[in-house]
Amino acid sequence: MADLKIQGLAKSYKDVRVLESIDLDIASGEFFTLLGPSGCGKTTLLRTIAGFQHQDRGEIIVNGERIDHKPAHKRDIGMVFQDYAVFPHLTVADNVAFGLKARSLPKSEIDARVAEALKMVRLDGYQDRLPAEMSGGQQQRIGLARAMAIRPTLLLMDEPLSNLDAKLRIELREDIRDIQRRLGITTIYVTHDQEEALAVSDRICVMNKGNIEQIGTPFEIYRKPLRRFAATFVGTMNLLPGEIAGGRLSVGSQTISYPSQASGPVEVAIRPENVLLPGMPHQGEIIALTGAVQKVTFLGREAHYTLRTEAGEIIAQVADPSHDFIEMEGRHVDVRLPLQKIVLFGKSGDVIEAGQA
Amino acid sequence: MMKRRARFDIWTFVLVAAWVILIALLIWPLSSILRASLIDNETGTFSLIHYIQIATIRAYQRAVGNTLLAGFGGMTGALILGVTLAFVTTRFHIYGRAIIQTLAVVALVSPPFIGAYAWIVLFGASGVVRKGLASIGISIPPLYGAMGVILVFAFKFFPHVFLITSGALASINRSVEEAAESLGVSPMRRLFTITFPLILPAISASALLTFVLSIADFGTPRIIGRDFNVLATEAFNLYGSEVGGNPGMASALSIALIILSMIIVFGQRWVLRKNVYYSNLIKKPERKHVSGLKAAGLHLLAYAIVLVGALPAIIVVLFSFRRTSGPVFQPGVSLQSYERVISTVSEPIWNTLIFSSVAVIAIVITGTLIGYLISRRPGIATGALDAILMVPYVVPGIVMGIAFITRFNEPPLALTGTGLIIILAVFIRRLPYSARSVAAALKQVGPNLEDAAISLGYSPGKAFLKVTVPLILPGIMAGALMSFVTAMNELSSSLVLYVGSTITMPVRIYLAVMDGEYGTASALSTILLTMTVVAVYAAFHLSGRKESALL
Repeated sequence: MADLKIQGLAKSYKDVRVLESIDLDIASGEFFTLLGPSGCGKTTLLRTIAGFQHQDRGEIIVNGERIDHKPAHKRDIGMVFQDYAVFPHLTVADNVAFGLKARSLPKSEIDARVAEALKMVRLDGYQDRLPAEMSGGQQQRIGLARAMAIRPTLLLMDEPLSNLDAKLRIELREDIRDIQRRLGITTIYVTHDQEEALAVSDRICVMNKGNIEQIGTPFEIYRKPLRRFAATFVGTMNLLPGEIAGGRLSVGSQTISYPSQASGPVEVAIRPENVLLPGMPHQGEIIALTGAVQKVTFLGREAHYTLRTEAGEIIAQVADPSHDFIEMEGRHVDVRLPLQKIVLFGKSGDVIEAGQA
Repeated sequence: MMKRRARFDIWTFVLVAAWVILIALLIWPLSSILRASLIDNETGTFSLIHYIQIATIRAYQRAVGNTLLAGFGGMTGALILGVTLAFVTTRFHIYGRAIIQTLAVVALVSPPFIGAYAWIVLFGASGVVRKGLASIGISIPPLYGAMGVILVFAFKFFPHVFLITSGALASINRSVEEAAESLGVSPMRRLFTITFPLILPAISASALLTFVLSIADFGTPRIIGRDFNVLATEAFNLYGSEVGGNPGMASALSIALIILSMIIVFGQRWVLRKNVYYSNLIKKPERKHVSGLKAAGLHLLAYAIVLVGALPAIIVVLFSFRRTSGPVFQPGVSLQSYERVISTVSEPIWNTLIFSSVAVIAIVITGTLIGYLISRRPGIATGALDAILMVPYVVPGIVMGIAFITRFNEPPLALTGTGLIIILAVFIRRLPYSARSVAAALKQVGPNLEDAAISLGYSPGKAFLKVTVPLILPGIMAGALMSFVTAMNELSSSLVLYVGSTITMPVRIYLAVMDGEYGTASALSTILLTMTVVAVYAAFHLSGRKESALL
């Protein structure tokens, strides 16, 4: 098992800076996810750790030892690819044995490890098949077994689920998480799917334009976003224009006291599930608005209301909607935003911390 | 990058070597033609006289006109036959599709001058069919001149169109056509407003190919054209003429031929400038079952096209077993043509096999390395290399032959009269096909597979050998066999370059036809055809039975 430290890693393609100065500290056995939109540098970072690309500056340290001068094939890092990269001319067993043969292990050892790896990904019995006869999900299982069979110090996964359909994606992501927990292998996982990142990770690193926006547990990323980008990229977030001055916060025509030193225009952020509609209990201070229900979207276990208020458009989520909730389109309702669920972002996109009350 | 730095030296070496080869065997010889075309034969000074003569002298004007006529005629005929056959076989259930494909491939691989010769046997002045029809009172004109040339081209080159467009037709999403139908478009209108525009890239690519093949062809207009002179025959006459010759004029006509081909290449690019459609194939088109008169008509149409196309090959094989007395065929069956071939003219067979084998080995090694360079090491030098590789596509064999003989006539590279010069001409003409097909095969493999092998502990070189090479090997082998087929059937450049001891089978067949030794010509053609079919079958087998490998 291994820990990974990245210090001051930077890389440019011609004039474009793909990675600014990246610092990461990943603990042994951690499931660490790089999350961000396409072009944010997450794949470049992963491929640089793997050794397929080379940084301009910075260090990659595994277990206290610098590895960035080593060629890719000597880094002992397992990699799982988005397009599976399963060798089409080899059987399932030969695919899994491929890396073991490079290590010149005795045949009995290879056979044992292949069997073990295939059992782990639930492909026992398929060893003599060719990849072309197998589904996408099964091919990615081969890719996973192949990477795990060499017992790498690190496991890197580059959007391994994005070519699969929704149901398979959830099934395989649970398997990946279970296997990772059982073996305790340090894993770096790249995805642009925020739900996937929340579901599997110990910690998430949200990236944008070659920079780290925020690193935290899934709970911290979702509930306590430190940057506007992280707040909007992960989950849905309502953003209303507001103003803060002299310890008072104005939203629309409402002004309430808000203990903060800051002043100037702000964005008031609140998650749809925290917006209160009539009949919902609450505690503490609120911002009270009224809004017209423009649209109701029924999603089964929940419904989304699109509300037009004086402060701007707000999406509210209602869990387990009843029948009369669905027939609300066109009506005016009270909309309340509980103060303790609100996050404020300043002009720079940084969070504005509430001061002492 | 680390791995790039590690292999920098070897691939730099390959890049330099590739440039040396292309400059020595392509640019340098062709520059001699350009130079000769711009120099007055008598005074030896710079002059545009040859180009002025092309524009003013009637015989040359006619040659340009006839070349265009043959090009567009052959192209149009091949397109009509090929697209029709492709449409019928991909959209309707036709019995014996394998037979149709085989016959189309037979037509594709038999050398065009065999076709010309076989058509003379059937429809020439004393042709079998013509005589037969005359005996029952029907008189048709002998098949010489423009009509004959265009007909031979159409039936010779339609398999290219057929193979390219059936691939495209088979990959149109059926939902698109169904959508058109649901919007109230009639099936006939749909064909012209939806289906053909979608396969325009394939149609225009095959149109380009058949045009270039038609105007570059030398044997057909020579054998069946009579006084139908084209640029290729005119250039050959002027160059090889025993009374004086006119190298400057021959060169100018060669340049004109290259320019014509290039105009068409750029024309096709222009047509396709926007028409690149990507579609996710969801539903494959299905073959409709039809019955009754319609089914009979469709079968008749499909079989008529391929049978007429394969007819020359069939005729040649049949006639090779006929008894002959001198140049005249006699009733009865005999092996005497083969006996004569074996006893007197076996040299061309060995020459052909040796030259083709050596050329193919060189083509495969060079082509694979250059193909890898093009697809995996992009850069300015490789990009330019890729562009230069387009040149042999538009240079007809006869022009390449003339260029070689002018450049390699004196020391330091006095190669005239050797087998090597014939090999090198075939090598440079076929090299682009091999490099391009390797580059295309490599694009299919995807660099992630090599990355995966590297992450599992293989060095980059080992990863290439263990993963990439096994995956592209069938493609390389199939390409090699197809290069072997073209090398064996190469007539035009060899005809300029051969001397008595380096004569090849196509040249010998051509000479036999010109001398009226039809028995010998048939027997040699049959042997050539057999060797070709064996190689094609092997290529087909290796490529996983994909017809596209035969192009």
